[in-house]
Formats: sequence, C-alpha cells, structure tokens
Amino acid sequence: MTHSRFARTAGWLALPCLVAAGLLAWYVTRDPASPFEAEQAARFDPALVSRGEYVARLSDCVACHSLPGGKPFAGGLEMATPLGAIHATNVTPDRDTGIGHYSLADFDRAVRHGVAPGGRRLYPAMPYPSYAKLSDDDVRALYAFFMKGVQPAQQANLASDIPWPLNMRWPIALWNGLFAANTPYAAKPDQDAQWNRGAYIVQGPGHCGSCHTPRGLAFNEKALDESGKPFLAGALLDGWYAPSLRADHNTGLGRWSEAEIVQFLKTGRNRHAVVYGSMTEAFNNSTQFMSDDDLAAIGRYLKSLPGDPQRDGTPWQYQAESVAAKLDNPGAHTYVTRCASCHGLDGKGQAEWMPPLAGATSALAKESASAINITLNGSQRIVAAGLPDAYRMPAFREQLSDREIAEVLSFVRGAWGNHGGAVGAQAVGTLRGHTDPASSSPIVLHMR
Amino acid sequence: MELRINQKTYEVEADADTPLLWVIRDDLGLTGTKYGCGLAQCGACSVLVDGSVVRACVTPVAGVVGREVTTIEAIEADSVGKRVVAAWVEHQVAQCGYCQSGQVMAATALLKHTPNPSDAQIDAAMVNLCRCGTYNAIHAAVHDLAAQQEGA
Ligand code: FES
Ligand code: FES
Repeated sequence: MTHSRFARTAGWLALPCLVAAGLLAWYVTRDPASPFEAEQAARFDPALVSRGEYVARLSDCVACHSLPGGKPFAGGLEMATPLGAIHATNVTPDRDTGIGHYSLADFDRAVRHGVAPGGRRLYPAMPYPSYAKLSDDDVRALYAFFMKGVQPAQQANLASDIPWPLNMRWPIALWNGLFAANTPYAAKPDQDAQWNRGAYIVQGPGHCGSCHTPRGLAFNEKALDESGKPFLAGALLDGWYAPSLRADHNTGLGRWSEAEIVQFLKTGRNRHAVVYGSMTEAFNNSTQFMSDDDLAAIGRYLKSLPGDPQRDGTPWQYQAESVAAKLDNPGAHTYVTRCASCHGLDGKGQAEWMPPLAGATSALAKESASAINITLNGSQRIVAAGLPDAYRMPAFREQLSDREIAEVLSFVRGAWGNHGGAVGAQAVGTLRGHTDPASSSPIVLHMR
Repeated sequence: MELRINQKTYEVEADADTPLLWVIRDDLGLTGTKYGCGLAQCGACSVLVDGSVVRACVTPVAGVVGREVTTIEAIEADSVGKRVVAAWVEHQVAQCGYCQSGQVMAATALLKHTPNPSDAQIDAAMVNLCRCGTYNAIHAAVHDLAAQQEGA
C-alpha cells in the first residue's frame, strides 16, 4: 500500500521532470528558425557578392577567420578563453573542411544565432550576439560572398583545448536565451536614417561592444544597444583597456568631434589618438574600408551616446608642467630620456603622427593595462591605404625594468592635468608575464 | 613645402609625415646627420629645431615648417656650438665618429638652455648612444664646458 502510493507519487513527480528534461533537450539542440528556410540561393550575381564583401569588411570576419600568411578565411586563429583555447574555423566554401555544404538558412543560423548545422552551439567568441542584428539582406549578401567570392581552402579545423565536461556546448543555448539578441536591428522611428545606419553598424556588423562594452559575470556584454548605460562604456579585455565610446570627457569621445571620429576610423589617427592594441587590427582590416557615409553615420551615432560624469571623474584640463625641473623624479627622468623625443616635453605629441599623452585615455582611465601594455610591447604596424606607418611606438620590454616602467607611467598619468593614478611595479610584472610570447600563460592578443 | 635649414631656405617636395631625417639626408644631401635606429632610441639623428634638440627620425617634416633647423654642418656658426666643437677636439672625443654629430647637437642644446648644468642635468641630457663607448670623454667635455662662462 505505502509502496504503491510512493510509486504513484514518484510517478506524478517524474512526469513533469521528464517533460522538463525533454523540453530542455529540445531547447538546447533545436535549430532556430531562419527566414531563409525555403529560399534556394540559386543566383549569386556579382553585385551581391561584392556587397557581401563589404558586409564582411564591416563585420571584420577576416580578423579571426584568417591567419597572417594563411589562406583567406581558412581559420586557425587561436583565441584564449577562461576555459582553454579555441580556434576560429574554416569558413571558405570548401565542402569537406569549410562551409561549402551550408545552405543559406544554415549560414544564417551560424552567423546570427551561433548554431551550426546539427544544432551544435558555437562559442560566443564568434560575436553572433551582435551579428544577430544583421539585416536579412546583409546576411544574404554575406552568404553570396562566402560562397562565390572566397576561394575554397582545404584545411581541417583544430579541436579546442577545453576539457570535458566543460566542452559540452548545449549550456550555451541557455546563455543565448538570456544574453543574445535574436532579432535583426529595427530602425528607431524617432531617429533619422543616418543615426539608424550608424546604430546598425555599431551594434551589428561592427560588433564594437565585443571589446568596448563591459561584461557581466557570465561574460555577457552588459548592454547590446543604447538603451543600457553600460553600452560601449569601456572595458578591460585581453590586457588592453578598450576605452568608452560614449561622450565621456576623459575616457570616451567627449572631446572628439564627429569629423575626428571619421578621421580616426579612416586614417588610424587624429589629433587625440592613434590606433593601438587590438584596435590596430580592427583598423587595418575593417574600419578603413568603410565608406565615408558609413563612417559619418558611426560618428553621428556614437556622439549621441551620453557620458557619465560620475564614472568618468573630474574633466581633464591641460596643465603646463616643467618636466625639466623634476629631474630628481625618476619617472620624469625616464620620460625625458625615453619618451619626450616623440611625445614632447609638453606631453602634446606631434600633430596626428605621435599621439599626445596629455589628456590621453590611457593616462586618465583608472585601468592602467593599456598604458603598461603599449610600453612593454610597443604598437603593431598600422597600414593605412596600403602604406605602412612612418612612426611606431617601440617596445620597452627589454630596456626598462618593471619598476622603471611603473615610475614613468606614474609620472605620465599624473602630469599635464592627467589623473589616471600611479602604476605599481607588480602590475607591470604581471602583464609582462602574460604578454610574453615565451610564457606558458600568454594572453593571446588577437581575441576578436 | 618651404624649410629653413642652416639659415637657408629650401623648397622640398615631401609627404607631411616624412621624417625630417630623410629630407635632410636624401633630398638635401646634408649627410652629416646620421641614421642609427629610426626609432628615437639612439640620438644619432639629433638636430636643433629653434635651438632645442630633436630626433629627426621621429620628426614629421610638416612639423618644422616655419621653424629654424640647425644641422651639424652649420653648428659652428652658433657661438655655443663652436665652443662645443672646440671642447670635442680638445678632448679628442670621437672614436669612429658616427654618433658624434648627434652628441654635439645634444650638448649644444643643453648649454644653450642651461649654460652651467649640474651633473644630473648633464646625465639627463646626454643620453645618446655611442657604440664606441666614448661616454667618459663626452662627459668630461661637457663638464668642462659647464664650468666655462659664456664667451670665455
Ligand atoms: S636614428 Fe633617430 S634616434 Fe636613432
Ligand atoms: S664614436 Fe663611434 S659610435 Fe660614438
């Protein structure tokens, strides 16, 4: 009697559990709907392919899916994640090792929803939470480009280093449900066409937030559009501080005009800054190829994002400083002998060629990672319109000790009105270890 | 663009971001100024711009338009420069000589701004590299000059 009641109760309990498990299994392995389900991508006219090429530039696909010296889009880039390294895949139209067998709907599900054929979830290192906002037209064009504009390359994908059970992919579906957008960008009717175009590029293909928006506990971007205050508010990632792209006076674009944003994205430099760190790649491979109209739209949209004076701190103002009178300060001494030739005794740099350190984000942000990283490792080559840059920040890793770098950066971050705060030798030592290509735990600097 | 170098006016055609060093050496043939590293690390390319020392390899030429550039070729036309060269000869500073035009520039700029520099000021200003290791001779020469009175 008791036994059978127990069995009956257990049965009643088990049923909803089974149903829930079934629903869960369905949810995490299901193929999301694609508007292209019934579409046979029969014709790839050249105009569509070249438009797709432009969308690929906007989206900077090449940054991850190509390796320098490798076949375009054959994959291979190693990306460090907290769980282990993963590798970008072959997205050439090769049928065996690439995506040659993908239908338009398959392609759409991978790009906008992070789901490969068979329901396998992609890691969100692929910025599909942003690409979800791509328009149907752009996805169709992108597909045409990858099928007809890219040479098939036979190159097998590399397995990830993530160990079992962490390498199970289904929980990503739950993460997607919580954090990823799942509808294309919808134009805001109260804004004009230029603003909306800028918003589309920034939030969607440009995936600016992947680096510039701070992330939450689940490594999710805290906001995916301008409705959230953390959107593009600046974030620490891969040993660099990606500054705010909002109108923050110190750490953002508050002092930049729309035209200066355009100039920066088109030529890699303006009177405030020169691209460095991970932005060098975004510039070399993506932003310089954007049309003037699109860059203007980006400038317009970014300048519409308000700053947050509370987060940003006291607005920076230039203050003259006699470096020569401070030579007993070891940081000032190092500055005069190592830095001043380019950045100037007055900290103002040289026009748009050598960036000013007075008022620089890296000298005003409390995160000192960018200042340390660029000093240790120098800048990568900037190639604008096919021409390599004339001037580059050299690496001081071999020339200056942790203490010397800490001293000179503390000086810079306190001179000319800068108020980023002192840098400790320990922070320099940590980043030195992480960014040393010979170390066993390097930060792979090319994450997105 | 129009450049003023050693009291002469030159008309040069160059991109705005061309390093001043290339213009001086390749376009104008003033090869006394040397190329060492191209990265602001060695000082071999030092010249004076409005009396202050700059490293010509990291000076975009557009930045010196309308300013007065002095290279080693004309350094003795400057009274301080003349004294520096005399001290260099007296101390027999140069060994191979490759770095020395830059060293003379650095010393001249220092003494123009600070006629009687302290040892600390000398150390902070005389940071150009010398592969031959003439640092002691350089220091002795500048030390001598620092003790002299202008015009002495
Ligand atoms: S060549 Fe200019 S500093 Fe070395
Ligand atoms: S004298 Fe030879 S490098 Fe200085």
